[in-house]
Amino acid sequence: MKTDPKGVLTGSHELSGNHACAEGAFAAGCRFLGCYPIVPALEISQRFLERAPAVGATFIQMEDEVSVLAAVLGASWTGKRSMTVTSGPGLSLMMEHLGLGVMLETPCVIVDVQMVGPGLGIPTRPSQGDMMQSRWGSHGDYEIVALAPSSPQEMFDFMIKAFNFSERYRIPVAVMSDEYVAHLVERVVIPPADAIELVPRRYYKGRKDNYLPFKRDKDFVPPMVDIGKGYRFHVTGLTHDNRGYPIMFEECQEYNVHPLVRKIRHFADEIVEVQESNLDDAEVILVSYGATSRAARKAMEEARKSGIKVGSLKLVTVWPFPEKRVAELAKRVKAFVVPEMNFGQIVLEVERCSYGAANVFFIPHGEKGVEYTEDIQAVIKRAVQEKNIKDGVIECVSKGV
Amino acid sequence: MNSLISALHKGIDKSGIDRTKISVPSDIPFVPGVIKELGVDYFQTPRGRAIAFGTGLKLGNPGLKVIPVVGDLMTLGGNHFVHGGRRNMELLVLCVNNFIYKKIGGKPTPSMPAAFSPYSTFEEPFNFPHLGNSCGAVYTARWTALHTEELAQSISEALHKRGLSMIEVLAPGPDYYRDINDIESDILQFYYENAVVKNNEDPRNVAITPDEKIMVGKFTDKERPTFIDSYNVQHSKILKDKFTPHGTVSQEQKASGDKNV
Repeated sequence: MKTDPKGVLTGSHELSGNHACAEGAFAAGCRFLGCYPIVPALEISQRFLERAPAVGATFIQMEDEVSVLAAVLGASWTGKRSMTVTSGPGLSLMMEHLGLGVMLETPCVIVDVQMVGPGLGIPTRPSQGDMMQSRWGSHGDYEIVALAPSSPQEMFDFMIKAFNFSERYRIPVAVMSDEYVAHLVERVVIPPADAIELVPRRYYKGRKDNYLPFKRDKDFVPPMVDIGKGYRFHVTGLTHDNRGYPIMFEECQEYNVHPLVRKIRHFADEIVEVQESNLDDAEVILVSYGATSRAARKAMEEARKSGIKVGSLKLVTVWPFPEKRVAELAKRVKAFVVPEMNFGQIVLEVERCSYGAANVFFIPHGEKGVEYTEDIQAVIKRAVQEKNIKDGVIECVSKGV
Repeated sequence: MNSLISALHKGIDKSGIDRTKISVPSDIPFVPGVIKELGVDYFQTPRGRAIAFGTGLKLGNPGLKVIPVVGDLMTLGGNHFVHGGRRNMELLVLCVNNFIYKKIGGKPTPSMPAAFSPYSTFEEPFNFPHLGNSCGAVYTARWTALHTEELAQSISEALHKRGLSMIEVLAPGPDYYRDINDIESDILQFYYENAVVKNNEDPRNVAITPDEKIMVGKFTDKERPTFIDSYNVQHSKILKDKFTPHGTVSQEQKASGDKNV
């Protein structure tokens, strides 16, 4: 399906990450924004609101983030591609409806511009502290797709990817931006509308009285209908059968919830995307995502100049995690070095997936900004010299490297 | 619940609105068969969030009639209700008030008047119609589960109101909790003996207290621009003809027809 040209601002523009996000959403056919103002995600909603009347999109500023995501889920059931933008504290409030979105299998996109936490943190500084929350924050078992952009251009591209994933798998998709990418201004090239390919929503095509809202097709994804078209459906956030009726037995839990997990795990190979460079001869691999991948790329280039064989694995989809690829690489490299703007989140996944075959070094990076790479350089040197494989994550604080 | 459902049936019939255009987000689990019989689209949301969910439904498809049925209105749903009223979102909020949290062992809710709990609750209960009225709801009413006909009439009237309407339905809690909460007589009997119909009473005076009669009736019926009205007026004023008012069907949409069929 081609996108609606009304929302596509074709051309080359100087855009901040936040503005590129709004443009990406329009290009992806998003026509509903629920928002509650929060720094540093503010500019996304501002841009969206400014352009919405021309594009034919609707928006509402709700009373809190809890109701924001509820409204977004509601709007999505009317057939509109819907999204919300927020930051850490807002994401915490959204967890209730993230779980509901997973259970009702409602496509929507949540953009989280991460700031320093916990609590009120620093709203004007970047962080990658919500990565685990996006995956595990709501109660119960679920799988989610999370993308981590590292530039305004990627912000634009990943919004389209995110909407496509959400429609394809009927799940809420998280775009995990951060304050650095949000306010970074770079050139963004927006392609013509006919070059943007969208995944259409899977609609039920059978008879109206036969519609079962959660009868899965062969991909474990149930086809959807819009509300108000006479299908008279019943959907519930309780554990339900394929009619959408609540049935609260363990068997039904297996029947209902297992496919929610399987529809992502089974197709993980199709979803997972990484960007690799210099991996062929690498002894040490930098694993990074989002804004830190800019520092990692710079560190890799500098290390290569001084003759150290360093490669880079940049995660486009952080969730589902590229387990197979990391396990494969672990068998042939000395170490992984993981810089993150937090105190150790995705590094735990890297360690889990390396199965003790390689050392895993962690750098709580970002204290001095993304441009600063001395700490990464130092850890790369240490990783190359390390003879034995040590247990667990080796945490390297900047001073005592 | 039975009388609410039969009143919903009658009310929708009376209003003459196409049932396929009605959707019911609710935090109360209905028996699925009942919903099927009712012939509407139904969503069960987390506690108290039905109004927020309904706001999304209404904005996404302004042609819908949305009836959030809320049990947890004044606790988890409080802020959603207050702001729904303020922005006058076109919803018909049915608040089912049985004074207790039925599912979790009969704990008192903020709507419980002082005498209805084992050692007497000591907090002041909410006066729903007064709150609704002061938040800007265009229609407020209260009926007990015994007033099925009046409730149905209210529902059919409220479905044609433009803006947030609120009908409080005083429902009976199950007998088991009657003992816990020290209600001496059968609560339906209590309603029967104590409910007094007082239409157009000032909502400030209709609080439910243990000593006084329960006032039921239609309390508010006024007109205010809805959220979508104000949205369209404001944008048309600034953007002139660049803006297509929300909720109108464009030629393209008409041409493409119903994509579901």
